Amino acid sequence: MKKVEMSKGYRKKSIKRQLEAYSFLLPNLILFILCSIYPVIWTLKYVFYQYGGIGTAAPKWVGLNNLIRVFHDEVYWLSVRNTFVYGFGKVLIIIPLAFFLALLLSRQTRWNGMAQSMVFLPTIMSSAVMGLVFYLLFNAYNGEINQYLMNLHIIDAPINWLGKKHAMKTLVITAIWGGVGNYMVYFIAGLQQVAKDALESARIDGAGAVKTLWYVTIPMMGPILKIILMLSITSAFNDITNVMVLTEGGPNNATMVMALYGYKYFFPISASESVISQYGYGAAVSVISAVIAGLVTVLYLRASKKLDDIY
Amino acid sequence: MEIKTKSNSLSIKAGKMCAVLFLVIMIVFTLYPIIYTVFGSLKTNAELTSGGSFLPREWQFKNYYQAFVQADFVKYTINSVILAVSATVLAVVTCALAGFIFARRNFIGKKLFLALYTSMMFISLGSVTLYPIYQLLRTMGLSKSMVGLVIALTGGQAVNVLLVMGFVRGIPKELDEAATIDGCTIYGVFARIILPLMKPILAVVALFVFRNTWNDYITTLIMTISNPKLQTLTVAVVQLKYSVNAAAEWHIMLAGASIAIIPILIVYLLCNKQFIEGLTAGAVKG
Repeated sequence: MKKVEMSKGYRKKSIKRQLEAYSFLLPNLILFILCSIYPVIWTLKYVFYQYGGIGTAAPKWVGLNNLIRVFHDEVYWLSVRNTFVYGFGKVLIIIPLAFFLALLLSRQTRWNGMAQSMVFLPTIMSSAVMGLVFYLLFNAYNGEINQYLMNLHIIDAPINWLGKKHAMKTLVITAIWGGVGNYMVYFIAGLQQVAKDALESARIDGAGAVKTLWYVTIPMMGPILKIILMLSITSAFNDITNVMVLTEGGPNNATMVMALYGYKYFFPISASESVISQYGYGAAVSVISAVIAGLVTVLYLRASKKLDDIY
Repeated sequence: MEIKTKSNSLSIKAGKMCAVLFLVIMIVFTLYPIIYTVFGSLKTNAELTSGGSFLPREWQFKNYYQAFVQADFVKYTINSVILAVSATVLAVVTCALAGFIFARRNFIGKKLFLALYTSMMFISLGSVTLYPIYQLLRTMGLSKSMVGLVIALTGGQAVNVLLVMGFVRGIPKELDEAATIDGCTIYGVFARIILPLMKPILAVVALFVFRNTWNDYITTLIMTISNPKLQTLTVAVVQLKYSVNAAAEWHIMLAGASIAIIPILIVYLLCNKQFIEGLTAGAVKG
């Protein structure tokens, strides 16, 4: 008799505990389901439908057609190629630059702190607003960059920075501008974790600065370097705002990246364009892009594990 | 022997020179576009497009007047402030509550939700997901209101919830237990014990959410499609690129850009340390 009462009381208490827990979780959980879970499920569902949005024909089941169409879509694969060019360009330049900056600025002095804040400054700026500013700066005829280069007689004729030939380079330059401070701070955090006594013993053994860097600092930064590389690779796949504002994916798809290519089937890329409302196809493009990004991440993790074995 | 040390110290000097030169180039590179924006916003359009001096010849403060009055930037500034502040408050409150409970209690479904929160950090479908969110808000009748915009901009906050959770896990559990013995409910433990200790991590969350909402372009652009009156500074500035006489309005664009970046610059001046340290806190935990 007594036992039953106790378990009843326990159950009541347990229910109360559950309710308490959910009263804490619920505000965020609602947002999470609304803005994170639901859209993913929606997108996965519409991969298999043909749909033009509210006010058009009802969604029509088309099976794997959208996915098959993606595989035959030349512009899409061009955008994949562009994403890789952009990503590799950005990572290959930004990582050494950031590492070098970190090496120079990692000692905590006042000047170093100021230099750090200045290099970090672009990362807090809106990439959209700065995209507009870069659009003016790199403008072929009136932009200040060409004006300077011509005044200094480095070039004779204005360079069409946003033309087919140079647009991708320009985009990478702006991406480096916006991101180098970020990776510098990661590297500084990593450098501070390199054990002081290892550096000390290298110094006592008579290793010079370059040797210490190559044989002690860099190997000891291995694990953090891996994380930083991974962050830089995955973030490069998601860069879309600066592409959208600066080049709009053009000219003639020269800077179209995969994230923007899926987007254009949902929303207009610029105010002067109209939307091609093909939500099913856009969903298929986005899912395949996400899979490609995931594959790259997995391959990278495997490769970096192999590197571990070699060391 | 003497020659050797001399050449050594020479090469060290040369190395130092190179390092300083490299730093100067990098700092010019990072600061130049910002300085261009601020000085450019004080030039005439002719001076901007035909190539003038580095500093404005005559400081055209009326560019700002034009931006604020003719381009209606007063309204957009108010929108930006309301939006950034509300999203920040909503994110901080919800992340604090959720992060705390994930760290401190076991409840039904916790494992599932934790797995979902973590996996959302890796699944990235990009801006495409804005369409279903927009549609959902529309059926809820929120697509034309500030409330809907705040919800869409705040979003799931999965990363920040996990960040707060990690931080709370580092706070000794004995504190909770002592408070419980003293008669505190879980709400009391949260409000009186943990919340004050969470301040550093919540400051990081607040700073980053504020920056992200203030700077956001795509989400705000899409969520204000059916009610452009709610546009923010960032969106309004970029839209100037597509205005009919854009070529004659560079000075207005740059004045708008300055108005959009100056508040965040001030925030950065006040707490650049927190920005930089917060970034590493996020990266190491996440």
